[in-house]
Amino acid sequence: MAFNNFSEFLIMGAHGIYVWSAYGFSAFALAWLVWNTLATRRKTRNSLRKRLLRNQNR
Amino acid sequence: MSWAWFHKLGSPKWFFSWSKSWALPLFCVGCVCLFVGLVWGLAFAPADYQQGNSFRIIYIHVPVAMLAQSCYLALGVAGFVFLVWQMKMAPVFIKSMAPVGAVMALIALVSGAIWGKPTWGTWWVWDARLTSVLVLFLLYMGIIALQNSLDDLVLVNKAAAVISVLGLINLPIIKYSVVLLETLHQGPTFTLTKKPEMPPEMWLPLLFSVIGLYCFVAGLVLWRMQTEILKREHRSNWVKQEVMEHGL
Amino acid sequence: MTYSSFIRSEFLVLWRRKQDIFNALLFFIIVVALFPIGINSSAEFLAPAAAGIVWCAVMLAILMAVEGMFKEDYWDGSLEQWIVSGLSLPLLILLKVIVQWLVVVAPLLVMMPLFSEMLYLPSLSFWVLIMTLLLGSPSLFFIGAVGAALTMSIKQGAVLVMLLILPFYLPVIIFSTLAVKAAEAGLPYSGLLAMLLAMSLLSLVISPLMTAIAVKASVN
Repeated sequence: MAFNNFSEFLIMGAHGIYVWSAYGFSAFALAWLVWNTLATRRKTRNSLRKRLLRNQNR
Repeated sequence: MSWAWFHKLGSPKWFFSWSKSWALPLFCVGCVCLFVGLVWGLAFAPADYQQGNSFRIIYIHVPVAMLAQSCYLALGVAGFVFLVWQMKMAPVFIKSMAPVGAVMALIALVSGAIWGKPTWGTWWVWDARLTSVLVLFLLYMGIIALQNSLDDLVLVNKAAAVISVLGLINLPIIKYSVVLLETLHQGPTFTLTKKPEMPPEMWLPLLFSVIGLYCFVAGLVLWRMQTEILKREHRSNWVKQEVMEHGL
Repeated sequence: MTYSSFIRSEFLVLWRRKQDIFNALLFFIIVVALFPIGINSSAEFLAPAAAGIVWCAVMLAILMAVEGMFKEDYWDGSLEQWIVSGLSLPLLILLKVIVQWLVVVAPLLVMMPLFSEMLYLPSLSFWVLIMTLLLGSPSLFFIGAVGAALTMSIKQGAVLVMLLILPFYLPVIIFSTLAVKAAEAGLPYSGLLAMLLAMSLLSLVISPLMTAIAVKASVN
C-alpha cells in the first residue's frame, strides 16, 4: 500500500485533482460506451421482434 | 495450415453464433483485469520519484492510447480485407469499431492533457504524440461522419473501407512528419524488444490494465457487431428465429 | 470516347465552369489577407509565417476546387459513360486529376510573387516555396479526389470532405513549411522536398485505384 490512510489516498500529494479528474472522465466515457453498446443492441432486437410479431399476426 | 476459419468469418450466421459465446466472457475478463490493474496502480504501486502521484494517470492513459492506435490498425486491415476479398464481415467490423476507437482517442487526449498540467505546466503542447493522437481522433470522426451521411449500404461499405485503408497508409507518414516538429513526450513505456525501465511493481499493474482494456474492447466490439449483423440481415430466416427465440 | 477526346472535353468543361476555379482563387486571396488583418500586419510576424500562411490558404483553396470535382459527372450520368466506355477507369481519373491540377495550380503559381511581396517573404526562400508548391500540390489533388469521389452522391458534401481529407493533408504542410524554414536557416532542405515528391508519387499510384472503387460503388 502506497498510502497510509484513505484521505491521503484521495489527496495523492496535491495531485489528487488531476488523477481523479482523469480517471473520472475515463470512467464516464467508458461507461457511456458500454451503455450505448448495450442499449442499441436491446433496441435493435426489440424493434426486429416487434416487426416480426406484427407480420405474423397479419 | 487450414484456411477454413478465414472463410467461416465471411458468414454472418457463423460469426453471430460464435461471437455469442465469446462476447460476455471477454468483457468480464476485461473488466476484472482492468479493475485489478487500476486498483493496484492507484493504491499500491509506489509513487514516481520525479512526478509524484500524478504519474498514476499512466494506468489509464497508456492503455487507451495503445487501444486507439490498435483499433485504427485493425480498421485499416479490415478495409484492405474487404477491398480485396469482399468479405461480408469486414464492413460490419469497421462500422462497430470506429466509434470505440474514437472514444479511446478522446480519452487518451483528455487524460494526457490532465497529466500534462502537473508534469509540463500546460494542458497542451504541440508535441509529436499529442498531435498524432489528435489526428487519429479526427480520422475516426471522419469515418463516422462519412458512414452517417451516406445512405446506400454498398457505398457505405466501400467508402469506409477505402478511407480506412488510406488512413492506414497515411498514419506512418503523419507520425514521421509530426516527429519532425519538436518532441517533449516521454518515450514509449512498453516496447516489444526492450525490458521496461520501470520497476516491476510499477509496470505489472500497467500490463494488467492494458490486457484488461484489450479484452474489454474486444467484448464490446463483438456486441456491436452482433447488433450490426441483426440490422443488416434482418430479412434472413436465421435472424428471425434468433430474435424470436432469445428476445433478450 | 478516346483518351484524347476525354482530355479535350475535360478542358472544355473546366473552361465553361471557369467561375468555380476563379472562386477558389479568390478564396485563396481572402484567406491570405485574413492573417495580416486578423493577427498582425508587421513584417516581423509575417516574414517567418509567410510560408505557413500561403500553404494553409493553398490547402483550403485546393480543397474547395477539388471537392465538387465529380459532382456534375455524377448527376449528368457521365460517370456511367466512363465505366461502359471500355477505357481504364483509374487512367481516366488520373487524367482528370492532372487536368484539374494544371488549371488550378498554374494561376496560383502566377499569383505567388505578388503574395510573397505582400507577406514580406524573404526573397531567398521564394523559390523553395515555389518548389514545395510544385512538388506537394499534386498529392493534395490526388488525396482530395478520393474524398470528392466518396461524397459525390451527397448534395451538400463540402464540410464532410474537409473533415475527411484535411487530416491527410497535414504531412504535406509540415514537410513544406519545414523545407522553407530550413532554407531560411541555411540548412539542407532537399530531403524534405524528396519527401514531398515521394508523397505525390505514392498518391499518384494509390489514389486513382481508390477513386475508381468509390466511383464504381457510387454509380451502381
